[in-house]
Amino acid sequence: MSRALGWLAALALGAGLVMGFGVAPREVIQGNVQRIMYLHVPTVLVAYLAFAVVFLASIAYLWRRDLAADRLAHASAEVGVLFTGLTIAAGAIWGKPTWGTWWTWDARLTSVAILFVMYLGYLLLRGMIEDRDRAARYSAVLGIIAALDVPLVHFSVYWWRTLHQPPSLLKPGPATMPQSIVAALVVNIAAFALLYAYFVAKRVTLLRREEEARA
Amino acid sequence: MTADHWGFVVAAYGLAAVVLGAYWRRLRRRDRELTTLIESKTARATQPKRQR
Repeated sequence: MSRALGWLAALALGAGLVMGFGVAPREVIQGNVQRIMYLHVPTVLVAYLAFAVVFLASIAYLWRRDLAADRLAHASAEVGVLFTGLTIAAGAIWGKPTWGTWWTWDARLTSVAILFVMYLGYLLLRGMIEDRDRAARYSAVLGIIAALDVPLVHFSVYWWRTLHQPPSLLKPGPATMPQSIVAALVVNIAAFALLYAYFVAKRVTLLRREEEARA
Repeated sequence: MTADHWGFVVAAYGLAAVVLGAYWRRLRRRDRELTTLIESKTARATQPKRQR
């Protein structure tokens, strides 16, 4: 199952590259550097998904004390941190030629940096507490609180004056981009979502086996 | 015409490939380590106890 998911993710990532570099046209104003969008936007959307899963799995754990929910939250947080880190790095690389700076403390960039640090803290907290149930309980509370930053990240471009542009996809009204760009973006989002599912499935299995090995 | 900055594009995608590849390798390595650990643990548990 996990292996099939891995191959599917690899194929979808290949299709995403073809769409992003072969099908989508060169953007008129920014030129080809705009193609970083097909990496930057999918990784941040999948990071949102990952932290939504942490939020729901943390509630499920606190409600039912189900260790499977805790393992899912742990795995999803780890993969979410990975994708958020990639979002920040890709954004900085895109920002330098277009904005003239790698980083600026505007609301979108600052809120996403806070999100990254909060979930790094979540992973550190898990690693610091030896008692299995206490680690699960404390991190579930942090997982719920940290998820509140996700809407703040998304709506920051509306609530404050930012250098960062408003969302390209998750916004009211029809898409303002050409169909070929939207299609490339959608294929890449699906590819990164599959990769997320593969990584999480693999990590959940490893977490269960680590517990078996410790028992 | 706008400059294309291909170097930045390659850097972004290259970095993503390296990071995602490294994470995938880490998961695979941990998988192998756990297999060895669980196998040796099972072997120890099923070994007949030494006579005193």
